[in-house]
This record gives sequence, structure tokens and C-alpha cells, in this order.
Amino acid sequence: MNKVALTLRVNGVSHDLLIEPRKLLSDAVREDCRLTGTHVGCEHGVCGACTVLVDGRPVRACLCFAVQMAGHEITTIEAVAQDGQLSPVQQALHEEHGLQCGFCTPGIVMTFEAFLKENPNPSEEQIRDALSGNLCRCTGYHNIVAAIKKAATQMQESAGYVAP
Amino acid sequence: MSHPEFHYIGKAGPRKEDYRFLTGHGLYVDDIEVPGALHACFVRSPHARARIAAIDIDAAKQMPGVVSIVTGRELSAWTDKLRMAPPIEGLHPVEMTTLPVDSVRFQGDPVACIVATDRYLAEDAAEQVMVDYETLDAVTDMWQALEPNAPKVDESLASNLILHQSYVHGDPAGRKREAHRVIESTFSQNRQTHTPIETRGCIALWDEGRQHLTFHVGCQAPHPYRTQLAMRLRLPETQVTVISPDVGGGFGQKITLYREELTVAALARHLKRPVRWREDRLENLTASSHAREDFCRTRAAVDAQGRILGLEFEILEDFGAYCFYPGNYLARGVATGLTGPYKVQDYAFDVKVVLTNKVGNAPMRAPTSVTSWVMEGTMDAIARELGRDPVHVRRLNMLTAADFPYTTAAKEVLADITPRETLEAGLAAVDYAGFRTRQAEARRAGRYLGLGICVIVEPTTAGSKFYKAAGIPGSGHEAAWVRIEPSGVINASVGLGPTGQGYETAMANAVAEGLGVSPQHIRIQLGHTDVAPYGMGSRGSRGGTAGGGTLYLCALDARKKVLEIAATMLGVADFTSLRLLDGRVERREAAGEWNPTHVELTDVARIAYLDPQALPDDMSPGLEFHKTYDPPPRTYSNATHFCEVEVDAATGGIHLGRYLVAEDCGTLLSPTIVEGQQHGAIAMGLSGALFEHVEYDETGQNLSGSFADYLIATAHELPSFEILSMHTPNRSTPLGLKGMAEGGVMGAIGAITGAVNDALAPFAVVANRHPLTPMYIRELLRGKT
Repeated sequence: MNKVALTLRVNGVSHDLLIEPRKLLSDAVREDCRLTGTHVGCEHGVCGACTVLVDGRPVRACLCFAVQMAGHEITTIEAVAQDGQLSPVQQALHEEHGLQCGFCTPGIVMTFEAFLKENPNPSEEQIRDALSGNLCRCTGYHNIVAAIKKAATQMQESAGYVAP
Repeated sequence: MSHPEFHYIGKAGPRKEDYRFLTGHGLYVDDIEVPGALHACFVRSPHARARIAAIDIDAAKQMPGVVSIVTGRELSAWTDKLRMAPPIEGLHPVEMTTLPVDSVRFQGDPVACIVATDRYLAEDAAEQVMVDYETLDAVTDMWQALEPNAPKVDESLASNLILHQSYVHGDPAGRKREAHRVIESTFSQNRQTHTPIETRGCIALWDEGRQHLTFHVGCQAPHPYRTQLAMRLRLPETQVTVISPDVGGGFGQKITLYREELTVAALARHLKRPVRWREDRLENLTASSHAREDFCRTRAAVDAQGRILGLEFEILEDFGAYCFYPGNYLARGVATGLTGPYKVQDYAFDVKVVLTNKVGNAPMRAPTSVTSWVMEGTMDAIARELGRDPVHVRRLNMLTAADFPYTTAAKEVLADITPRETLEAGLAAVDYAGFRTRQAEARRAGRYLGLGICVIVEPTTAGSKFYKAAGIPGSGHEAAWVRIEPSGVINASVGLGPTGQGYETAMANAVAEGLGVSPQHIRIQLGHTDVAPYGMGSRGSRGGTAGGGTLYLCALDARKKVLEIAATMLGVADFTSLRLLDGRVERREAAGEWNPTHVELTDVARIAYLDPQALPDDMSPGLEFHKTYDPPPRTYSNATHFCEVEVDAATGGIHLGRYLVAEDCGTLLSPTIVEGQQHGAIAMGLSGALFEHVEYDETGQNLSGSFADYLIATAHELPSFEILSMHTPNRSTPLGLKGMAEGGVMGAIGAITGAVNDALAPFAVVANRHPLTPMYIRELLRGKT
């Protein structure tokens, strides 16, 4: 199959790639951009492990081709912590034991980095609903839900929000 | 062993391994970059049972990027067969080639391997391999497998019955004759599969100069795996290194050496180039390993009160097409553990395991998961049939503190467990009487609530005596080393596989407790066979007791030497008047209190390595320690699970309400890790009972090849979990450890089913097979609502 040239913007860095048009975004990010934090769990859009942000919105990287991403800004798990400092979502997952084997974790972090921006004060039901797009085989989700609640509270507090 | 005061274990706190996982810097097999690595892809049978007449690889070989294509024939010349023939009563020996040569036995059976320069090209070429199959009738259910004229899954056997064992203790037949009633119950467990979110995969690197294979593979038991891999490749164990990096979950699927992995290793050696393989999800669901699928029947001879006088048990398990494990491995454990927390001495069991044209079985988290559902379902049936309260029937039959140690009818010795205590505490916590009132009110309003109770005894760590008694070659011992480095920090290792249970945290706590140093200064190294000592790996809830116990004992040896050196430095005659705490040597004063000295671990380490002449006479330099430890024949944890549900009689939908477990799993290395294991195990049990189902049609086509077909519970379906910790120590293990992490599955399966049946009681129907889908519940209720 003929390869095509593509500039892929990932985490603010431009990658000039020569890849087959059929190459999945998940594979391009992992193999060509060498960002292996985005994991591939099913390659059919159910498990959510490969979730990345495209222009700030969560997208399953296994369900799109890299060539579709020209002109878009992709954010992966590697860009979430700044200078070794965990984000509130990451920090809360750490404190609440919201991860075990860690394989699904990057997808969950990316899902909720976006979700909490749109839903700063979610109910448990809303959290469980959003989390239902990510499969985790280790935790039973209980501690992930607790972590997201905690992260939401902390983000609101640090934004100066006072609960009514 | 009595340990009134712990300094490091038993404290909740975040894990040591989290940072890399949270930031995308974990290193799973597929994240390892290997320059120039080739990619493998397998051609798989579309038929459940067929003869391979011919394989034409000519067209595929011409495809872009293809480097090599091999079939079972080439691999048979390069590798040895697996012979599964342990001397176990009633078990027939079988053999398995690396890839099938003449015939295939399930849809998904690999028949050829393509090696190409990238994965996309390898998959392109795989489509061009033309296999000429002569299809044959398949065996697609376990009852059919037993029919006299059934096709034979393995032609070398006389029938599909790979194992048959029976056992009698006491006089269960006599008890039946004397009984007030004999109550029969059946239980059908669905076929499931482990589905770690990281599928299988491996990378093989062959060093032609050293004639050495380095093999990266996510693995629960790296050392036994290496032994198998070396043997099958006809290499000495000195020429094979297995490295298990971060592992994205195992649950029993990543223990044994699979045929695909052996093929990749053989190809790397043959091609003298690195070869890698990552299984896709379709392969994982349809061609890796399956689990469960069994039919159980109990016949309980009872008196008018509901006391069990005698019990008979039958189990028939569908083991799939190949034996990666001995056929008795799972089903016999159900039979021997069945009576659990109950006093039953007149007991008989009959265990049958059959081969069918499906993926082969492997132990899956709680390999004997059905046990507690069967026993507790039997208790509920007795209560139902006699019109008694299910709690009353349990209390009547349950072992109490005065009964332990208790030798069961299957000759296991139960000790240091507290089933009655967890039952009573849980009943109080869920307000059992209050629930019955709520339930009655709800029923009057046309709503159907149910409460399920499942008392479990979880067999955990097995020592070498257990293996010997069961006739299984192998051992349950574990090995560890601890090395205090010249700067006073500590490296330690144990033979467990790093499959995601937070071992770096829990094991560091075990070393900390033995040595007297904060876990923050301790690094646990796992999964590298050149680094780790030869241990038996992560499985069967053995990590805490075997792994943590061995590390703790090894750290005690280290502490003794450190204190002996410190005693010389301080001019103290008796080192037992010293202790190490947070890396500082303390001395016990006459009044009994501990005071700091000027000696720290760093001072001791410096002398041990850099000034050995200052050591006590006859003491060897350095601070390196090695220990092996063989646990007791068996340790046990116990718990009682309570699950509340509401069943929608109109739709058959099951809504999960409150879930509570009262658990005693001994001394905890880390309560944080234990809680996570409890949650995860309960979730896996609920998911399996409610949703998961590997489905084959009558021709042997697997109908559950995606996560849209094979359903795993999401956050939306599962409840929050409440845990009542009621831990008591085991008196025959280091620190009082017991082990845990599988009982949650056992408890959840039993509790959810009990709850559904309690809810359905007004309709006089009983759900006795899984999964408990809305369609199945409606099938039961049709014409009754």
C-alpha cells in the first residue's frame, strides 16, 4: 500500500510521518511518535484504553486513521502531568487506589481530563455513566469513582469555587 | 506466631508503582522497542474440527514484507511436544504439538505463522495462506461429549472423558435412607474467559553469539514458564532468560507457555532475528484460554430441621480441546472444597471432565469459583424446601470456633477461620430483620427485592505438602533475596510475577517489617529470571503468604546480621537488646524502653562492604541474603458476602443494590492493596454471573468474538462495595498471613444468585444457570407474572 506524508500534531509537537493511510491513530501514536502510554485493548472501540484527546475531546484512537488527524491537535497521557507533577485526576487516582495493573489507566485519565472540564461538579451517577466507556478488569471501578469525585472537589476548590 | 505490634505492615497508603502507570510510562510488552523486530501473525482455523489436507503458502510468501511462514510441521522439528501426564488417578495422558500438524480442534486453532516486517503486512499475508480443510463433526457441548458415538476431540484417547474421579467418606448412601428429605439442586456455570485488558504478547530475541534466548512476555510465573520454554526448545535453562515487564492483568491467563509464544521463540532462533507478537482481542476471546463451564448437582440428605446428614456432589466440566493443565486441576478442587464452612462428614463426590471442540480451559481467578454458589445454593434450597429461614439453615450446619482445627470429609484441615463470626457481623450490618420487613412491604407494592448470602472458605496458599498429597508434580514454596546496598538502601526480589496487584507496595512492606526500614527505601524487583530467585509465581492467592512470608523471613535474617554488626560497633554483648527502626539502631534500656543509638543502617552497610575487617570475627562481608520458605499444606481465608437486588419482573432486569462483605483474610501486608483485590474479585464474580458468556453455536463457531458480544460489567452496572474487616491471624504462617484475592469471585457468584432467587421466591421459580440475563429471568417468569 502506498504511504502518504502526514504531519501529526501530538502534545504540541509536530511529527512528520510517512505512513499507510490505513494506519490507525493508536498505532501511529505508539509506533511512529513513540508515545506508548496510549494502550490498545480491543481495537474495536469498546474498552476505551486507547482514549486520547483530539482538539480537547476524548476519542478512541483505535477507531480513527492517523491521516484523518491532519490539522488537529492530539493530546496523549504523556502530556497530562506537568514537570513530573500529577494532574488532580492522576493524583486522586493515586491517593484513592484507583488503578491496579495500570493498563486501562491512561484511557481513564484522558476521559476524565475532558469530562471534568465540562462537568465540574458531577454526581456519582454521571461519573459512573462516563466511566462506563472504559473497561477495567482489576478495580471493580469503586475506587476510580471515588477518585474522580475527589478530583472534582479539589479542582473546584483550587478554582476558588465555594460549594453552595 | 504472635506479633502484637507492627511498624510497617497493615497501614493504608498509596502504592509505589503508580507514578509510571498514571503518566503513561509503564512498560508493558508491547511498549518495548526492539529495533528491527519482525511481527508474527497466526493463521487460524475457521472450523471447529477438521483435518488439514494441505497448506498452500506460495501466494502468501510473495506478499510484501513477508520474511517467513511456518506450519506445525516445521515447528515439530524445532521444538518438543507438551506431554501432560501427571500420575493422577483417573486422568488420561495427552500430548500437544507446538502447532497442529494433521488436524484442528477448535475455531481459532493456529495452523501457520507468518513473520513479516510489520503487523499490517503480516495480517495481509495471513489472508493469502490457503488451507485445505476436510471438515468433521464437532463436539460442542459436554453432554454430547459423553455420548458413546461422539466424535473424539483427541484421537489418541478412548473417549472424550479426560478425567473421572470419585470419592466417598462416611456413609452418604446410608444417610440418604435415614433422611427426612433428600433435596436435589443443580447449577450450570457459563463458559467465561479471563480478558485481561492487555492481551497476550511476547518478544523473542535470539543472541546467536551466546546461543541465548531473551524472551519478554507478560507472565504470572516467570521461572516455571522459563523451565517450560527451555525444555520445549531443547535449550538448557542457562540459555533462556524470561523477562516479564509490567503486566496488564493476568487472572490466570498468563501462567503457562502458550503455543503462539513457543512458535515466536522458535522462529526468532531459527531466523536469528527478533520476532514479536501481540494478540488482538478477537484472538484473545476466541483462541487464548477459557474457563469455568460446568454442571453441578448436589443431593443433600437432611433432617426436618434442615441439618445436613449426608451430601452427594457431581460435577461435569467442559475443558475445551487442549489440556494446558491437568484435567483434574479445577473440578477436583470444587469437589474437595465444597463443604466449606459446614459440618458434613458423610460426603461423596464424582468428578468428570470432558474434552470438546472449544478453546482449552485455564484457571481463572478463583479456579474453583462455583464452589460457594453450589454449597450456598444448596443451603437456600434446603431452606426453601423445608420452609425455613436460610440463615437458620446456615447456622444449624456451620462450624463454630470450638470445631477448629476441623478435618473435612475431603481430608483438608480447616484452622484459624471465622465463618460464623463473619456471618453474624454481616447480618447485623445489613440489618437482616429490617431487610425482610422492607422486602415484604415492597412485594405488596409489586416490587421484588432479594438478599443473597454467601459464606465462603477460600483456599489460598498451597505448600508442597498439598501438591504431594494431590499427586501434582510441583511445589508451593517460594524464594526471595534481600540485599542491603553499601549506601543502606535495599533491593529485594521474590519469584512472583508482576501482574498488577501492587506487589511492589505490599512486598516492600513485608521487607520493611522484617528489617526495620521504611518501605520508601526498599525496591522490589520482579519478573526477570536472571534477577529474581526461582519461585512459583503469582497464582492461587499465594502472593501474600508465600511471597510476602518468604521476603519477611529473609529480611529477618538480614536484620539479625545488621544487629550483630551494630552490637560490635556499640560494644554491646547481646544483639537481641538492639532493634532496627526506620533505619536506626535502638537499644532497650533496663526499664524496657527503646532509645536511639548513634549507629544507623548506613554505618553498618558501609562497614559490611567497605571495611570487613571491622566486622565481628568469622563474619562474612556484605549484606546479601537468600531464603526459601515452604508454607503450610493449605491456608484459608473466609468471608460472608451479602448482595441486595431488585428484579424487574416485567423486563427480567436485575438492579444491584447494597453489596457488603465481612471478611477475615489474616494479617494484611497492605490494607489498601487488599481492599483493591476485594473490589476487583467481587466485580469479576458479579460480571461473570450476570453478563459474561462465551457462546458457541452447534457447529462450534464462537459467537462471542468482540467486547460487544462478550460483555464485561462496566461502572454503570456495578455497585459500590462495603467491607467489614474482621481479620484474625493464621497461627502457622509468618506474620499471621493467610492470602486472599480470589474469594471475592466465589462470594459474589453465590450472593448475586441467592439474591435473585430470593427476589423471585413469590413466583416459585429458581434460577440455576448463568449468566442471569434478562432473557433468562423472563424465561423463568413467563406465564407467572
